[in-house]
Parts: sequence; structure tokens; C-alpha cells
Amino acid sequence: MDMLNNPVQEENLDNLFERADFDELESERIAAPRYSYWKSVWKTFFKNKFTVGVAVLLLLIIGFALIQPLHSGYSPVLTPNINNASMKFLKPSAEHIFGTDHVGNEVFDAVWAGARNSIIISFVCTALNMLIGIPIGALWGFSKKMDKWMIEVYNIISNVPFLLLAMILSYVLGAGMRSLIITMTCTEWIFVAYFIRTQVMIIRDREYNMASKCLGTKTWTMILKNILPYLISVIMTYVSRQIPSLISYEVFLSYMGLGLGTTNASLGRTISLYTSYMNGYPHLFWIPVGVLALISISLYIVGQKLADAADPRTHI
Amino acid sequence: MSGQNDREVLLSLRNVEISFDVGGKHKFKAVQDASFDIYRGETFALVGESGSGKTTIGRAIMRINPLSAGEILFEGKRISGKLSKQDDMNVIRSIQMIFQDPAASLNERATIEYCVSEGLYNFHLYKNEEERIAKVDRALEEVGLLPEHKSRYPHEFSGGQRQRVGIARALIMEPKLVVADEPISALDVSIRAQVLNLMNKLKNEKALTYLFIAHDLSVVRFIADRIAVIHLGRIVEIAETEELFAHPLHPYTVSLLSAVPMPDPIIEKQREPIVYTETTEEKTGPDYEMRELLPGHFVYCSPEQGKEYLKQLENQ
Repeated sequence: MDMLNNPVQEENLDNLFERADFDELESERIAAPRYSYWKSVWKTFFKNKFTVGVAVLLLLIIGFALIQPLHSGYSPVLTPNINNASMKFLKPSAEHIFGTDHVGNEVFDAVWAGARNSIIISFVCTALNMLIGIPIGALWGFSKKMDKWMIEVYNIISNVPFLLLAMILSYVLGAGMRSLIITMTCTEWIFVAYFIRTQVMIIRDREYNMASKCLGTKTWTMILKNILPYLISVIMTYVSRQIPSLISYEVFLSYMGLGLGTTNASLGRTISLYTSYMNGYPHLFWIPVGVLALISISLYIVGQKLADAADPRTHI
Repeated sequence: MSGQNDREVLLSLRNVEISFDVGGKHKFKAVQDASFDIYRGETFALVGESGSGKTTIGRAIMRINPLSAGEILFEGKRISGKLSKQDDMNVIRSIQMIFQDPAASLNERATIEYCVSEGLYNFHLYKNEEERIAKVDRALEEVGLLPEHKSRYPHEFSGGQRQRVGIARALIMEPKLVVADEPISALDVSIRAQVLNLMNKLKNEKALTYLFIAHDLSVVRFIADRIAVIHLGRIVEIAETEELFAHPLHPYTVSLLSAVPMPDPIIEKQREPIVYTETTEEKTGPDYEMRELLPGHFVYCSPEQGKEYLKQLENQ
């Protein structure tokens, strides 16, 4: 108690405190570091080691699939070892990594040549579907007038059986990469557009869009500045599902004989040819299926993680 | 309206009716027969409980909600219904809105610079980039924000700061009329006064006219020159602020004023809220209309009721 009444002590306290003035402008200052959307997206994406691992694996697979066939020059039409019985149905070994098939060709070359075509087709088709579907879907979601007739167009197109359409188109256009791309974009874009339309409708009437309208912002500017930036994450999710699903479409169509035709390497055709030897030489079937699964799954995982990282709610 | 002829009418609502489709033939009338004038330079408040149609009127003036009957005049020109492109642009520039929820009314994916510049971009209200940036800086400074905030995103700001961005965005258009839709009801109590004072300051500096939509009577008393009370889509009483608080005539207004909480706990305990239900008072009838019972004081009633209201006032 004596200490408190000590004048020396009081003097010390006076020295400790300093008068601070209130600065109104200073109180407005934000101390947090500047926020950048894309920087945060990449930071979130690279934080997860597993995701980075899968992404690296995916890049290696895609890179390998794009380059290896150029090197091997594989074509299903070329069968140099067809009369050499000792080259047929070899088990995987150091010399023949994935073994050889019924005509004595390297399964390794066949699988990567097929994967290359599947990957190219699915990427091109996805890009086309998005390029057509997103702008149309965005306008569709905005315009009530357009919605009235677009929904009818959607009903008609979505009720056409896909397989029937694929068959007709492959007869009309002939087999080949171009016709397969047309088959997988001529109706698929409308599903993208429909998806975007629904997403746009969800955020179209939010208050910030009303504010933009009150400021006289035009529809296209609103789509570009107010709507699409909000949809980056859901569009990425969509893409990450679309690419693997188009790969399996391609495989399915080629398996059915409606795809790339006999002259082009194709994972689907390879799998369908090798299925008959599944009992005696299971590696012939499982290796291409495994590669297909590996590509699809890693594409899906990377896409999903990117979509998650693109959602600003994960940036905190 | 007599006694106020010397003042210039800026905005005028004539028998405005706004209805919404509720499916089928049934229509819900959100606003019925609303008529009032807003004079240049005044703050006109629209008060009512939630669902009474006050925001709907504000949005009709912003031309977000179409009218089903009646008309809205701005500077003597009809602005409801279809307008020529030139008129449309003029009206957008002349009437701006401050939104209720500052968190929802700013584009989260755009920087403050874009949010504030949006109107400038739409009308190309700048000669070059430097002028636009100078205008944005000035607008931010006027609402007490810093030019360095330009590159920040809305989520980095506090509620009060965001609302001030909303004010800056509206005022950069140099409007004549500002519709403020409950601009402080989503804000923290501690900063409500700050935003209100800012609005008053800007009003005096820029000779603005406000339509202030609110449900909080103490706020309205502080800021408004005249008040219109709206109940179930119908305007029941219009008077100058102090007149309305001194002599509320319509039973709904009486009940509304009796519901204002008192800061004094002793008075607050004795306060008896007067409950207004549709059964205690006939709501409407064929000879009901807005009648000027006291100078500049309009009440929605029949002639007999008008006399009764005045008698009650004398007895007090």
C-alpha cells in the first residue's frame, strides 16, 4: 500500500505513458497485406502435397502420352511382327514393358498412342463445349425472353439419344478424329449452357447485380465482371468432370466401333480388341484400362482441387 | 399541396400501384395508390414495417420493379414505363441508390476502384485514365476513405467502410436524387451515426435530395424533413417530421410511435404500446383518400374519420 502512495512511483508512470492523438484517417488504414485472387488460388492449390503430387503425375502422363507416340511411330495398321510367333503375347518384361499383343506389337506403344488421341479429343471437345456453352448459357440465364425458347431447344436436344446421334454422324461424316469431335460437341454444349444458365440465375438477382443495373451497366459487362468471376470455381468443377467423362465417351464410342476407326490408335479400340484375350493374357486388358483409369482419376483430382482453390472461401 | 407551392417538386408519384404475379391469375398488390411529392433539397422518409412495400416503392423509382398502374414523374417528366435511350441514361445518372446490405451490394470479385468507377465506365464520364482515377480518389476522400483503398477488395473492409464505398459509388455519378434503402439497418450500432452524419454532410455539400427508406423512427426523426408512413402497401400519413411526432393522427402512426423504445428505464417500464390491428380500425373504403387535415399533414381516411381524428387531437 505504501508503494502506491509513493510520489516517485507516480512520476515513473507518467514517463511510461505518452499522449496519443486520434487520427481518423489513420484508423481507416488496412494493415493486412494486399489480396490477390489468383495468387491466393495458387497458394491454396500448392499447399496440399498430395495434390501437387497428383498434378505432377498428371503432367508427366500427359506429356508422355503426347511425346512417346511421335517417337514410336505406332499405328494399328502397321504389324511388322504379325508372322513372328515368338513376338506375340509376351508378358511384360524389361524389354517389353507392357508386353506384346496378338499381332506382336508393343502394348506400351499402343496404349500411349491411344491415350494421346483420347487426351487430345477430350481436351479439344471440352474447350469447344465451354467456349460455346458458357457465353450462350450466361446470356440464357440473364434473358427471360431467351429462356422461353432456349428451354424448348434444350428439351429437344437433350431428348435425342446420344448413341443414335453418334451412329448417324459416324455414317454421315465417316470415322476419324474430326467427326468424333463434332459428335461430342454438337449436343454436349447445350448441357454446359444449361448448367451455366442455372448458375447465372442463382446469382443474377443478388443485390450487387441490382446495384450494377442501377449504375447503368450493360448485360455483357455484368456477365464478364459480375457473374463469371463468381463462377470460376463451379466451371472448374464442371471441366474437371467433363474431361474424364469425354475420355470415357471416346473409349466407349471407339469400343462400339463408332469412334476413331481402324486406322487411328485409340484406347477404346485397344481395350475392345484386347478384351477377347482377357482369359489367357489378362495384362493385355488390364494395362490399357489401368492407364485410362490413372488418367481419368488424376485429371479429376487435380480439377477438383483447382476448383476448391478457386473458391475464395478457402483462401483464409 | 398547399403551403409548399414555393418549393420545386423533384420526384412525384401519382397513384402508383405495384403488383406481383403469385402464380395463376392471382396478383399480390405490394403497393396501392401511392402518391407523394419529394421536393428538391429535402430528405423525405418512407417509414413502415417489413413487408409494407417501402422497398418496393424505392425499387420502382429505380425502375427495377415495373408499375402496374399510375406513374412516376422526375422533374416533371414521366420515368415509369418505356423510355428513350437518352432519357434512360439521364434518369440513371440523376437517380442513384444506396443499398441496405453493404456486404451484398458490392461485387466481391472486383476491386474498390472498379466498384466506384463502374458508373464512370458506363457513361464514360472521364476524358482519360488520370481523370477517372482522380475522380475515384476524390469520391473516396469525400466519404472518409483513403485513395490507397482502391486496390483492395470489398471483403477487406468493415461494414461501415463498405457502406461508404456504396455511397461513393452512387455519388460519383453526381445524382440529383438518392434513394437510400435502409442504408444503416445492416450496420453496427456504433457506426450508424457516422454514416448518417456523412449522408447529411454530403447532402449539404452537393445539394442532394434523399428518399430515405427506414423502419427505425429515431433515425428518421434525426435525418428526415418529411415523413410518409406506409402500412400494408398503402400510404396512411404524410407530414413534416416534428408535426408527425407531435400530432400523429392515423391510428397506425400512433401505434408506430408508441412502439419506439425509451432510453429511460423508468419511462420505458411504464410505456404502453398501442396495438394496431386491422380490426381496431377500418382500413379502407370507397370514400377513403388522402385528406389534408392539418396544413401539410395528410392522412388516409374518410371524411367522418378525419373529423374524429381532429377531435381526438383537441382532447389531448
